[in-house]
Amino acid sequence: MSVQNYYLPESLGEALELLARYGPDLLVIAGGTVAMPLINEGVSTPVQVMGLRRTGLDEMARSNGNVKIGATTTLTRLLEESPVPLLRTAARNTAAWTIRNMGTVGGNLFSPPPAGDVAVALLALDAEVTLTGSGGERVVPLARFWTGFMTNVMQADELVTAITLPVPTGKTAYIKYGRKQAHTPAVVTVAAHLVVEGGRVQQARLALGAVGPHPLRCPQAEAVLTGSELSEDAITEAAQTAAGECDPFTDAIASEWYRRKMVPVYVARALRQIAQEEAAS
Amino acid sequence: MTKQLLNVVGQSVHRRDGMGHVTGRTTFVDDIQFRDMLYLKMVRSPVPHARIRGIDFSEAEKVPGFVRALTHRDVPKNIYTILCLIGVGPDEEPVLAEDRVLYKGEQIAAVVAESEEAAVEAASRVVVDLEELPAVFDVEEALKPDAPVLKPWGTNYFIYDYEYGQSNPCRKVRFGDVEKAFAEADYIVEGRYQMSPIEHAPTETTGCVVKPEPDGRYTVYTNTQALFFTLDNSALILNIPFNKLHFVGGTVGGGFGGKVDVIVEPIAILAAMKTGRPVKYVFSREEEMRCSSTRGAWRMYFKDGVMKDGRIIARKVTTYADAGAYNRHTPYAVTKHAANVAGPYSIPNVWIDAYCVYTNRQPGSAMRGFGVTPASFAVEVQMDRIAHTIGMDPWELRFINAYRNGDVRPHRKVVEDATLIETMKAAAQLVGKELPEHLLAMNSWDREGGHHG
Amino acid sequence: MKPKIVSFTLNGRPVDVMVRPMTTLQNVLRRQLELTATKAGCRQGSCGSCTVLVNGEPMAACLLPIEDVEGQEVLTLEGITPLHGLHPIQEAFFENFAVQCGYCTPGMIMVTKALLEREPRPDEATIREALSGNLCRCTGYQAIVQAVTDAADRLHGNGGVS
Repeated sequence: MSVQNYYLPESLGEALELLARYGPDLLVIAGGTVAMPLINEGVSTPVQVMGLRRTGLDEMARSNGNVKIGATTTLTRLLEESPVPLLRTAARNTAAWTIRNMGTVGGNLFSPPPAGDVAVALLALDAEVTLTGSGGERVVPLARFWTGFMTNVMQADELVTAITLPVPTGKTAYIKYGRKQAHTPAVVTVAAHLVVEGGRVQQARLALGAVGPHPLRCPQAEAVLTGSELSEDAITEAAQTAAGECDPFTDAIASEWYRRKMVPVYVARALRQIAQEEAAS
Repeated sequence: MTKQLLNVVGQSVHRRDGMGHVTGRTTFVDDIQFRDMLYLKMVRSPVPHARIRGIDFSEAEKVPGFVRALTHRDVPKNIYTILCLIGVGPDEEPVLAEDRVLYKGEQIAAVVAESEEAAVEAASRVVVDLEELPAVFDVEEALKPDAPVLKPWGTNYFIYDYEYGQSNPCRKVRFGDVEKAFAEADYIVEGRYQMSPIEHAPTETTGCVVKPEPDGRYTVYTNTQALFFTLDNSALILNIPFNKLHFVGGTVGGGFGGKVDVIVEPIAILAAMKTGRPVKYVFSREEEMRCSSTRGAWRMYFKDGVMKDGRIIARKVTTYADAGAYNRHTPYAVTKHAANVAGPYSIPNVWIDAYCVYTNRQPGSAMRGFGVTPASFAVEVQMDRIAHTIGMDPWELRFINAYRNGDVRPHRKVVEDATLIETMKAAAQLVGKELPEHLLAMNSWDREGGHHG
Repeated sequence: MKPKIVSFTLNGRPVDVMVRPMTTLQNVLRRQLELTATKAGCRQGSCGSCTVLVNGEPMAACLLPIEDVEGQEVLTLEGITPLHGLHPIQEAFFENFAVQCGYCTPGMIMVTKALLEREPRPDEATIREALSGNLCRCTGYQAIVQAVTDAADRLHGNGGVS
């Protein structure tokens, strides 16, 4: 059966009502860049669909040391208007202009690996996800949002409405390694946020994309970095540790073997970027 | 003076079709539609090797817009091989699978419907009862005695010279005596080389639109790169006179060899014959990537006998082309390969065994110099390896061994058009390589050097 | 599944189309309105051959349900082609041999139009990044980049360079 209804609610309330009515039978799309290819190819055959383009969930605001990004903010707007440089870099490394004009920040959380290049940056920035359902809002740390490949903690009546993150206090790095310089799926994506004080790493957050069922943090590598002087030895050890914490896969872009080889290379490069910046400051 | 006589040489000439391209007015195949046109979608094998136990269309038939299904029983001459037009046999590829599928994505049954959406949905509801069989994906594995046998004649390699009543397991070239030369050589240099399959990925996917005409003919709008080849094969498959088909082509949105096989046209014509309506069969991107022919994989083993002065005196090559599941153009590619795998070098003793091997991969076929490209890759890497082994400049090694006009190639062709030395001199200039005098003195016409008169 | 009427502006003219839910803009243009300059290379948002401008922004027509363009302005290659002759961007592509098989050309030209409206004088890196979502398999990128630079000259003068 082909699509019976395509709803374009004009408010969050209207969207939640539709979600309450159909529950899991309602396919929710935002920019359509993940769902539409599957529908076009006949892989996905939804009957009831809701598009979020007109819900007005695309506010981007800064307050109380936080940045709040509406779920349907396009990646182009993130690239052009985000107050956080790491997110601009991540947006620039995601897809191409045409797709960034359509794809959304919220939608990026639902982009299966090796896609999801903005989500990796959000993870390194300790973002939280606002889920809104019929019972109201709840906030989930992004690090606990995913439960597996294409699965997450959301209830059937909930929507991702916003992503909130603290304005970064430390230094950040982002490297996406793909087969081309732009518009390419990742072999591995690395995002890092380090707070360095008095020559020592006080706080470390390291996130990887395209090397697991969803973007993932590397707590053991972070522990190696924390308290270190970000020396070449510490960087190498953290990079090797991160390679042991990921769970890469084989696809048309790269083999599991190659991804695992590339993780320490690109983690080390990202950390060195920060070390050099730190040394220069 | 010459310049005044030439209208094209030395001039920039605009593309004849350029105005159409920049305005979007060029008509590509998928731009064509007719009133009451039907859409064809293919039911494909989800596994690389299986026995087909049955096909159930009952759910597909219930999809609104479903018109009809086609199976191998509807195809007059279902088993074919494209190269039959140049005498290659036997026929071995089904238009639609009969009792077995040999690669993931192989065509099993066609579904024709009123809209593309209905065709996609109906095709997805066809249930094929498959018994999966062990598959083989590597050319050398496929030649082992315990490999699953893929061809009705009992081997996993193409039989050469079948048309002459012979049964050679490979294309062989024998020139001089390699074993004797190996015994005399100062160095033996060996190498193993391989290439992976490459998808052409044309921006416009493969497709055609077939329109039944009032006079009983069928007009076939197609983006094939091989218009008459495809017309002839289609007529043979459908067992109709060639003049019942009118092929219209010439506008190809990228081909690179990927559109020379005869895949979409016969079945789309058949669907138009069976329904009396225009039919469109255009690959989705997924089909283009997963199911269409690729440049085939290739594995090559080299053993060379080389003298201290740089002369290569013997070359022994065993090479395996991965045809994938079916011939397509690979038997021909292997013949080209065998003629070229000694490289553009004059080697007095050459021994070549070139196999066309079947595996459970999607068929390989034509792509830009197919057969020759893997040979050139292997030969030139091998030349560098030789140069490194004997401690000679790789340019010098190539100049010394370069073939000259008048030389006899291992396959007994007398060279008449060699310009390798001149080309290498030009290349050296372009990359800023300074060649020594004794190399600059060489030319392609006189092995001792001197002047070309 | 009730068909519905969607109204939008196409190449400066108001159009109403009767569609089934979630028909893509690509299918409406190509199949319903028979405006086939917008191509269909992948229908996955990967190749860029279906790029159109929606309110001036390049978007993939294959990923856009037609309902989403209700009330919006859509521009296709047909909309920039003059009745006689060529648009300066088309001239630049033609003159610089930036066309080979022609299948990527409409998308390339639409992105170029959007780019030159934002940046009258893009440098090479900017051009390459802007066109990164448009694949040319005949590998004619160098000529295409030259064509975009030439199009900028044709549209905005050559900036005093003789």
